[in-house]
Amino acid sequence: MPPSAHQVDEHLPLRPVEFEILLTLAHGERHGYAIIQEVSERSDGALQLETGTMYRALRRLVEAGLARPTARKQAEESEDERRRYYAITALGARVASAEATRMARLVAAARSARLLPNPSAS
Amino acid sequence: MTARDNTEVRLQGTYRTLLRVYPTHFRDAFGLDMEETFVDRLRQARAGSKFSLLTFLLLATFDAITNGTRERLNFQRSGAQMFHAMDVRYAFRLLRRSPFFTLLTVIVLSGGLGLSIFTFSFLHTAMLKPIPISNGERVVSVRVAIGTNSGPFDLADVASMRASIKAITDVGVYANRSIVVGTEEKPRVISATASQWDIFKFTRTSAALGRTFMAEDADVGAEPVIVLSYRVWKNVFGADSSVIGRKVMFNNASTRVVGVMPLGFGFPIASDAWVPLSNDALAANALGTGDVFVYGLLSRDATQQSAETQLTTLFKRARLHDQQAVTGEIARQIAEASALSRVTVESFPVAQMGEEGPLLFTVLNVLSGLILLLACINVTNLLLARSNERVQETAVRLALGASCSRLIMQSMWESVLLCVAGGVVATAIAAWGLDAINAWAHVNLEGNLAFWWVWRLDRSALIAAALFVTATIALLGIVVSGRATSLQFAAVLKEGGVRSSGKREGRIARVLVVSQVATVSIVMFFGLMSGIIAYRVVKVDLGFSTKNLLTTTVSLDDKKYANESSRSNFYRNTFNELAASPAISDVLFRSYMATIKEKAGEFELGNQRGIAGTKPRAYIQALFGSPSALGMTMRGGRAFDAHDDASGAPVAIISQALVDKYWPGESPIGRQINVARRDTTPEMRTIVGVVSNVMFGKPYSNDRSALAIYVPLLQTNERGAEFYFKYRDDLDAAGAVLHKSLHSNDATMLPPDVRSYDEITAKTSLIATSTAKLFGSCFLFAFLLAASGTYGLMARSIGQRTREIGLRRALGASNSVITRLLLKQGSRQLGIGVLISLPFMLLVGIGFWKLFPVGLFATIGSALFVATTIFAVVLLATYIPTRRAIRVELRDALRRE
Repeated sequence: MPPSAHQVDEHLPLRPVEFEILLTLAHGERHGYAIIQEVSERSDGALQLETGTMYRALRRLVEAGLARPTARKQAEESEDERRRYYAITALGARVASAEATRMARLVAAARSARLLPNPSAS
Repeated sequence: MTARDNTEVRLQGTYRTLLRVYPTHFRDAFGLDMEETFVDRLRQARAGSKFSLLTFLLLATFDAITNGTRERLNFQRSGAQMFHAMDVRYAFRLLRRSPFFTLLTVIVLSGGLGLSIFTFSFLHTAMLKPIPISNGERVVSVRVAIGTNSGPFDLADVASMRASIKAITDVGVYANRSIVVGTEEKPRVISATASQWDIFKFTRTSAALGRTFMAEDADVGAEPVIVLSYRVWKNVFGADSSVIGRKVMFNNASTRVVGVMPLGFGFPIASDAWVPLSNDALAANALGTGDVFVYGLLSRDATQQSAETQLTTLFKRARLHDQQAVTGEIARQIAEASALSRVTVESFPVAQMGEEGPLLFTVLNVLSGLILLLACINVTNLLLARSNERVQETAVRLALGASCSRLIMQSMWESVLLCVAGGVVATAIAAWGLDAINAWAHVNLEGNLAFWWVWRLDRSALIAAALFVTATIALLGIVVSGRATSLQFAAVLKEGGVRSSGKREGRIARVLVVSQVATVSIVMFFGLMSGIIAYRVVKVDLGFSTKNLLTTTVSLDDKKYANESSRSNFYRNTFNELAASPAISDVLFRSYMATIKEKAGEFELGNQRGIAGTKPRAYIQALFGSPSALGMTMRGGRAFDAHDDASGAPVAIISQALVDKYWPGESPIGRQINVARRDTTPEMRTIVGVVSNVMFGKPYSNDRSALAIYVPLLQTNERGAEFYFKYRDDLDAAGAVLHKSLHSNDATMLPPDVRSYDEITAKTSLIATSTAKLFGSCFLFAFLLAASGTYGLMARSIGQRTREIGLRRALGASNSVITRLLLKQGSRQLGIGVLISLPFMLLVGIGFWKLFPVGLFATIGSALFVATTIFAVVLLATYIPTRRAIRVELRDALRRE
């Protein structure tokens, strides 16, 4: 059964770190180090997640049912070492989507208040 | 395949250890993943520079500690909130069930905490708190220091430096003055501050009545004006508002009162009135125009050290300029003084407390901390005894599955509640103490208190209270939780009593006794030594009679008094006018030419007697007038007379101590002595008289001696002197005569500050006596804590051994053997405690010996007294419970748990 709107709303707004993690997991399963790297690359190095910060956020996401650990498997970049991967849940995907919509609305509001340039104008 | 070297394995192991900061459930779920991620990131960091590796390791450590702690707190908050509420209620019920225990513990804790809070708050207000004016935290006092003595600048130096000072802004100057209010028939002397006209702009304080100074008030020839303090306005002018604008006689000159400052304002220190320094005086370009203290705002981009460095450089440059403007001996003197000088930049409270201030702050806080430690030891003993009573209950709870952390928290809450209750009472005690001392000081020391010395329970006192309470909770918590975690429930349930932890209990008791003995030894030794000092201060021997004695310092302008004859005329005329006044007796002018510590104090005997190698030294002073003003009596020969001036033969008078040392049993009259005069080359002088001894040097220090050589003031080039004179009946009338006399001989001379020895001595004695009483009460409290605590510890320790004592008796040991055994064990703890305290006592002894005139005999005597008292206390505390244990029936003793 798909999650209800009420179930989604109670997780909003997401903390920036949690949103970043869900955004990364939306592309597919990732292990911890891969999440840190992708978040860093997406922000051009501006956001460097520390290990503890990320795992505390993962703990909250797992407890809230927005993400889930999968079985341990071999890491892509290393043939001999196994890593635990994390995946986004259906609820997580809905929540991330709702958060993105909320942010888009904020961006639109900022544009109408001329706090941001209009993309069509440029 | 990825190679795993030793470094990586070791760092991973270290990180694993760091992860223990996280709660167990978190580690179980994410610990391994975190380690793997750490290793991945480590590899990336190692591929970079050493700096990036170091940065990564530091960040990883910081991250683990902060996030681990936050996760732990988060877990405890969410999971244990309910338990905490239950535990608090449980601890509260337990305390209510034992009202005597609760009351006793709260009293002991509140005593120790109250003393610590009071001491810290008192000293914080006296020495650390920014003064209560605008930008008070940046206001600094600037002085010139030679060695450990700091003093004022010469006006000419400030005028020369002023434009180049960058580290300090809004530079201002002031000098302390005594001002005679009223007419010759009914004079009254008040302490005033002669300052730059913009002093009130600096402090951003408006007048409560009338106005403050305006720029025109400092113009040469402007009408004399004065601003009064609230205290003087109330006490001298009866709080009459119509005094504003009125002309009043100040220093025999008609002066207009233009304003009254608000209550409590006394910048720079404790001023009763303010008069403007004229622009003429501020622009002085010759040394000797006047001495002034400097204040200003420390620039935001400067530190006290950088300001000191800059100002010292500027000062030395100004002195070089002064030196080039004169020649000969005066130039040499300036160069000599400049080489030794440095400029100090301090906050006003620190400058006011002097260089011993930080030491005093530390020592007193450490002492009050030690008393708090004594209180904590006592409470620990009580809490441990209480936890013993509940040992079975605790064991059952453990057996039923209660977690260790839960038990620790339950024990902790009891300590927390006691500490909080003790802290509340202690804060009330400290608030009462601060109010009481504030009221006492403002009644007894009015006019001598720096204006920022207002003691009350303020924010810093409350913060100190919170910190002390937290520290006490932590200290007690460690012991109590240690006790809770050490419990082996199987053994307790099996043996059904406290025997299971007897050994550990005994060890804790021994450690507590040793700590108590060590702490109380140090505190008592310090208390005794302070008592001796307080007694010496009350009975201070300045070496001369101070009854009715007044003193002031006069310095002569270099330009105006460029030659010896002009200076001689000034001294002679002023002396004659003072001596002729019926209000004054025994006038003496004295100038310190050299102290016994200085090279300038060296002398040679005509026949070189007593000199081997280094030259002997003495206090060398220039005198003019009657030595009896300082209580000196002639023991032989003659006093100086009017002929002993620059045209007369060089003569000297020496002290009896010098005679006893170099001419024992002989008369030195007519013999020669070569005095290294400060202003000329050494010259041979004929000894014409011997006077009784007067001790010189700091009255409360060890640095005192009666070896002295006196030369006639008129045979020296001294550019200033201390005037001593005794008033007959009326102190204020004598002060007025001095001002009139100085004014008639030099109309431009700034009126000096006149100090009364009677007043100084009375106030010093009062402070010493009151401090001794306060210290005495604190040390008595410490002693009672130690005595009762040691007894409690020994009684519990021996009480727990009742069964063992019974067994020994059953096996044939006599009572005396058992008593000796226990006394021996008590003595061992005593010995260890005293041994630990010895180095600290030695440190305290050396400190006192260096700073105060306390002899070796008094120091060793005090140490022995302390040791004997503690010895008696410990032995008695061991003997009484031993006797009680021996008296228990053998049958009962063997059954005792």
